[in-house]
Amino acid sequence: MAMPSALRAWRAARVTPLGELHTPPRMTAALLRLTVQVVLVASLWRGLYAATGTTAGLDREQAVTYAVLAVLATRVRELDQYSGRDTVLQHMHFGTIVYWYLRPLPPQRYYALRALGEQIYGFAWAIVGYAVCVAAGVVQPPKSAAVAGVFMVSLLLGQWVLYYIMLAIDQLCFFTLRNGAAMLILIFAQNLLSGVYAPLWFFPDWFITLSSFLPFQATLSVPLSLHVGRIQLSDAGTQLAIQAAWVVVLALLTRLVWRRAALRVISQGG
Amino acid sequence: MSGSIEVRGLSRTFHTTVRRPGFLGAVRSLVNPERVAKHAVTDISFEVQPGELLALLGPNGAGKSTTIKMLTGILTPTAGEARVVGTVPYEERERNARNIGAVFGQRTQLWWDLPVRESFAILRDIYDVPADEHASRLREFDDLLDLSSFWDTRVRHLSLGQRVRSDLAAALLHDPPVVFLDEPTIGMDVVVKEQVREFLRYQVEERGRTVLLTTHDMTEVERLAERVVLINHGRLVLDGTLDEIRRKFGSTWQVRATLADGHAPVEPWPGVVLVRRDGPQVVFGPDGPAAPTVHQALKQVIERYEVTDIALDEAELEDVMRAAYVQAGDMAADMAGDVAGDVAAQAPARTQGG
Ligand SMILES: Nc1ncnc2c1ncn2[C@@H]1O[C@H](COP(=O)(O)OP(=O)(O)OP(=O)(O)O)[C@@H](O)[C@H]1O
Ligand SMILES: [Mg+2]
Repeated sequence: MAMPSALRAWRAARVTPLGELHTPPRMTAALLRLTVQVVLVASLWRGLYAATGTTAGLDREQAVTYAVLAVLATRVRELDQYSGRDTVLQHMHFGTIVYWYLRPLPPQRYYALRALGEQIYGFAWAIVGYAVCVAAGVVQPPKSAAVAGVFMVSLLLGQWVLYYIMLAIDQLCFFTLRNGAAMLILIFAQNLLSGVYAPLWFFPDWFITLSSFLPFQATLSVPLSLHVGRIQLSDAGTQLAIQAAWVVVLALLTRLVWRRAALRVISQGG
Repeated sequence: MSGSIEVRGLSRTFHTTVRRPGFLGAVRSLVNPERVAKHAVTDISFEVQPGELLALLGPNGAGKSTTIKMLTGILTPTAGEARVVGTVPYEERERNARNIGAVFGQRTQLWWDLPVRESFAILRDIYDVPADEHASRLREFDDLLDLSSFWDTRVRHLSLGQRVRSDLAAALLHDPPVVFLDEPTIGMDVVVKEQVREFLRYQVEERGRTVLLTTHDMTEVERLAERVVLINHGRLVLDGTLDEIRRKFGSTWQVRATLADGHAPVEPWPGVVLVRRDGPQVVFGPDGPAAPTVHQALKQVIERYEVTDIALDEAELEDVMRAAYVQAGDMAADMAGDVAGDVAAQAPARTQGG
């Protein structure tokens, strides 16, 4: 007999946004941090460009736009899951992971739904931030409607890749409980290699080559470079294809790990 | 014979790596890990009928939680079979999930940052419970567990008792016919414990749910369970009623009587010994495994002698269980005797570390 499908299970997507809405101080803090970060990053890059015209193929406006967009984009998936005791690491630690396996909603789908809710919520923040920054002249809007369209597609694919990278990091928790340090290193690598700290264009050539073999730059560097025009529209097709390829590769990989994770839980009993 | 829960020959062995002490030991463990097999549950069989509440008892480390994990589908047995409402839980986890509710002691399934009611609503969506059904069930649970006094509070701010009551409600929101409770009342005060017992009694008697409960609280067992399954060292040592356990292990009752005739001859009878005699004061105690229960003995004394006063000292269930755990430990050790040799000898290929 086929399982009656849980038609409304998608509503589990609201878990993290609801948690945020029920904690106004956290939202105020996020707003404050975002504002400070945008102001600091914008003035930092303006300062850096005080004496030069174009470096690493980016002029001042492009660099500032890139840096501010990077700050806004990190907002999309930077929710305080830790204080909500809702990270996989914590669920493994407290043993509450067993409940993920006791529901008619498979853990991988629950995880995906929750992440989706989180990303949509974060996206709402980023869009408002974007509108404010464009209005204030901090961020230059895309040069054309075509660029804007390609940017949207690339951003979507980038978030998708980011989802799988975060998932892979979380999946590590199923196999080692002491991966707090590994997690911090990976998050640093993710931020560095995706171009959050500084556009990858500023790094040495070997670094750029190395990075091109890793999925990280597909998350942010590619869409933001498209937005500011550092990657031309004519090259966009290749970049989008690479992003899509990472989505497929990481999807298959994490799917495999989910299966091993389930085995891990049902052989250890959580 | 098809109860709600059927367990046949269920066994579970864990393979762990032993960590040797000291620095050299740690290095040796890395290079040449020593693996041991731990038989957490061995060849357990029992059945629970629909609408029955069964207490699974045993000392710490007996294998109770391991058994419950296999029945909820989050642990696969190494041998034997289990069926819950006709489903093999560890093979069809999702289908099983709709049939069962589970509470694991101090682990909560609620969302820490959300008010209790929001957690309930998310579970309603996950289990696809119709809104009106959800609302009426919440009302019912509220009547018994007094949830509404705190259900708008975020879970992180709940007291332990409030949280466990919420967890109980959460586990039953989708109306599961079978409920597993692993030490649900751990750390609760007496008032909340009584409230929870009342709730469980209602769920069993009025709603016809099947409940499998583990607890170390003997008052709870006394108030709730007619039948208990006693396990020790992973083996089933007794499956019966509380009275049977009392008869078997509760050898500490005394019946104190004052005889009308202080010189009347007093003889022991099968199952009963004369512990003490001091003129008209006589004290009887149980003798051997065929001893009557204290209430039967009381009746027998009254039938045999003319008494002016009679009183009884019954062993507390707690004392009975202490005796049972000690003796059951010996029994389990005897049963394991034939296979004891292979415990350390096995060197399985797969390891499961931490
Ligand atoms: N994942 C595991 N790996 C290795 N050994 C385990 C594992 N889980 C349980 N055990 C062992 O199996 C035995 C039974 O454990 P279990 O948790 O079932 O006991 P219990 O009856 O629930 O005890 P308690 O009353 O203390 O909760 C214990 O000796 C325990 O150390
Ligand atoms: Mg236990």
